[in-house]
Amino acid sequence: MEEPRTGVYVCNCGTNIAKVVDCDAVADSAAQLPGVVVARSYKYMCSNPGQEMIAQDIEEHALERVVVAACSPRMHEPTFRRALQTAGLNPYFLEMANIREQVSWVHDDGAVATQKAKALVHAAVNRVVHHEPLDRMSVDMCPNTLIIGGGIAGMTAALEFAGAGKQVYLVEKLDHLGGNLARVDLTAPYLDSARDIIADRITRVTDNEHIDVMLDAQVQSLDGFVGNFKATIRRETGLEGDGPTVSVDVGSVVVCTGYKEFDASRVTHYGYGKLPNVITSFEFERMLHEGRVETKEGRLPQYVAIIHCVGSRSPEFHAYCSRVCCMTALKYAREVKSALPKSYVSDIYVDMHAFGKGMEDFYRRSAEIKTLFLMYERGEPPVIRRADPDDDCEMLIEVHEQLSGEVIEIPADLVILMVGMEAREDSGEVARLVNISRDKDGWFIESHPKLDPVATTTEGVYIAGTCAAPKDIPDTVAQARAAAGRILGKIARGKIDIDAVYAEVDEDKCSGCRVCNELCPYVAIEYDAETRRSHVISALCKACGACVAACPSGAIKARHFTDEQIFAQIEGVLA
Amino acid sequence: MAIRANPKLIDELEPYGAEDVVKCYHCGNCSAVCPFSKQPYVFPRKPMRFLQMGLEEKLKSELDPWLCYYCGQCSDQCPRDAEPGETMMSLRRWLTSRYDWTGISRLFYKSWRFEVGAVILVALLTVIGFLTFGFSQGNIDHYDGPNAFLPSSSIHIFDWGLAVVLLALLLSNAARMWWFTTGRDKSLRVPLGAYVTKAYLLPVHFFTQKRYSQCEHKSPWAIHLALVLSYVTMLVLIMFFLRDMASGPAVDWRVHVFGYLATVGLVVSTVVFLRRRIRKSATQYKHSHESDWIFLILLLAVAVTGILQHILHRSDLGLEANMMYVTHLALVVPMLVLEVPFSKWSHLAYRPLAMYLADVRAVALERREPASEPAGELRTA
Repeated sequence: MEEPRTGVYVCNCGTNIAKVVDCDAVADSAAQLPGVVVARSYKYMCSNPGQEMIAQDIEEHALERVVVAACSPRMHEPTFRRALQTAGLNPYFLEMANIREQVSWVHDDGAVATQKAKALVHAAVNRVVHHEPLDRMSVDMCPNTLIIGGGIAGMTAALEFAGAGKQVYLVEKLDHLGGNLARVDLTAPYLDSARDIIADRITRVTDNEHIDVMLDAQVQSLDGFVGNFKATIRRETGLEGDGPTVSVDVGSVVVCTGYKEFDASRVTHYGYGKLPNVITSFEFERMLHEGRVETKEGRLPQYVAIIHCVGSRSPEFHAYCSRVCCMTALKYAREVKSALPKSYVSDIYVDMHAFGKGMEDFYRRSAEIKTLFLMYERGEPPVIRRADPDDDCEMLIEVHEQLSGEVIEIPADLVILMVGMEAREDSGEVARLVNISRDKDGWFIESHPKLDPVATTTEGVYIAGTCAAPKDIPDTVAQARAAAGRILGKIARGKIDIDAVYAEVDEDKCSGCRVCNELCPYVAIEYDAETRRSHVISALCKACGACVAACPSGAIKARHFTDEQIFAQIEGVLA
Repeated sequence: MAIRANPKLIDELEPYGAEDVVKCYHCGNCSAVCPFSKQPYVFPRKPMRFLQMGLEEKLKSELDPWLCYYCGQCSDQCPRDAEPGETMMSLRRWLTSRYDWTGISRLFYKSWRFEVGAVILVALLTVIGFLTFGFSQGNIDHYDGPNAFLPSSSIHIFDWGLAVVLLALLLSNAARMWWFTTGRDKSLRVPLGAYVTKAYLLPVHFFTQKRYSQCEHKSPWAIHLALVLSYVTMLVLIMFFLRDMASGPAVDWRVHVFGYLATVGLVVSTVVFLRRRIRKSATQYKHSHESDWIFLILLLAVAVTGILQHILHRSDLGLEANMMYVTHLALVVPMLVLEVPFSKWSHLAYRPLAMYLADVRAVALERREPASEPAGELRTA
């Protein structure tokens, strides 16, 4: 068999690769390989001139295969596949050799690194010979959307869909909409009323003909795949327990299940639950809602202390920052001062995170109203004790104050603990239900933290708001709208492309043992009881290869990862 | 042992001029830009922090405010407009009120009405006293000679009496300053020798304002030095040469030439300072406390009435010269009695004393924990 005509392109990645690897030598060695008709080294292959170079060579040299030795395929495989497609070549006739992450970034010795790069290129050239032209499939997209969670994120997303005339099923576990935001009085930094923000949305959501609001309801199961899900929703009917279930067809799911607040009683040195006037931020919100800032005994506090990072940024509890507490604390300082102008507010913080629009200004104004900012170190949190009878305060807070280097005691009559956000206790259940993953803290994991923050690894399932990580209202709303935008784009197309790389069961070979059924992490393999054969739902398959390796009959083949291709690649590395 | 913070102190400092210290978020730019901020005296950030937290005793122990000459660079650099320079100025006012054991200083700084009222009251009593005295033994048409309305010998006795009282007040306040900043610190074992070997710093700083001269802009120092030297000259003339000053009507150049120079120095320096404060021409002149105005106006008025009285006397206008003399005394007495021990004038003692104590303390600190930087005069010089 004559080798297909192959082009090899070695990227310098500026100096990222070239400073360790002799790229010209790699190209020269590749040029000697069978089938290689052109081999080049270039500064930035991913740039437009780089891509045009490939397209031009495909035409001039009638290339049938392309190997790009550059960064990780996670980074630029889609870029180069597009380049092939533009030049009229099947995009799957591309193979990438990762000579950046796997070579230049991890080796110092140029000679050895160059040797390794040559071997990886050889492997890629060997492999690409066996590539097959693959076609992407497309499936119909159901225009309905299921939204789980009726907080600010869920309601915002629902209104986006409804505005586009698309049907939404909004499922809320509680008997009312609004989520955690409904428990908040004013919002930082502009001191808008949360109630106004929420009330308006609740009315619009409830009255909208396109939004089917299901209160006291939970999603019981979700089957199918992107564009074609079937969700079963159970409504609670009170004491009876399980109520009636409804089944709906949806094309996408947006998970907006939010957060729960940290349990302050887990921190012992603050005496929460023992000292009556040590309260959490949400308890203080309730006070503000009721319009009375006072101690449990009904007295007006002279000294109010606010302690940051309760449960957050601590090695014992949660290592992450809950993002909203700093500005909420400043909001409290202002609300206390406005309710009790003669009071003294101490704000006991670790670092002041004033990262958003208008927040630095908010911080400055909070200082101007004489908030006393005291800085403690994470390892040395404040300790609260009861004051002596002759003190003019109820409690004393000992702080190892960082900006002065002094150990001080600050008087307090009311202490507000800024409790952080944590993943809801049912987040694991939700993750299993919609087949998405959680990080070590229980937050849902996005497809890419920067470039794809609302999608998940399960296509058709999106996450928005604080179920993914702590965030403030603007970010939550932005994510909800982003998820809706992503889905509406797909609905507008009517069809969804499915990657051509997936596993296939040769049903003639399948013995119906169902080993693969349990193994598949994406629940992409279905067993047909009638034919007693398993088959892969290609839209759900992520081509991880677990079933391919496990199948005792060798009945499963992974497209684009055939045995032939892998063996050729290994031979190339070892050559 | 934890120190009790007092969130109310910041309210107490407000009438002293420290309104903007609340804005400080401790970036430390002020201490970095300050040419005088060096170990072990790092300011203004640290005293600002003590003030925000209300660590009253810590603040009372601080010499730092006196080591600042308010060039204003810190306030110019402040990203939050927390006015560190003005905060240091306010702390000097507040410390003055803490050193004063009578409590009068506190009343003056907290209420300008009280201070002005006290000045007027003392002025009236002075007028009544000297008129009664004058009419009881002299002739209002005679300025000098045997029938003089206010004979220089009597005034000389009065001056010395006043000086003893004022010195006693000032010294007792200065002793309290020593106690707060140096004496009471048990951990600080100041070697007695240090007090002796560093004593030369007191006259050096008093007569040269040496440290002030190290600020970037020299003109405030030059004018301030002119004011100090003029004042000292006048003080020496009055305390030791009053009889020659008051004799006449011929001009005794051996004495009067110094009087003229001192008067010109006082008038020019006070007018320049007043103009700068009115025009807010530089950062350090932007925030004027009432006590600053009262002091400068009194000093200018004293200088002007002094020279007018002199001119009237030389013009042989006995009645007018005597009336101007009484007016002059009605300004001098409140200035000395009220301003020297209780208000802005007291810094003539506290400043050089602070420079001296700062070096003395530095020696003790050096012995306690030897630092990499050299100790001694380098601290304040």
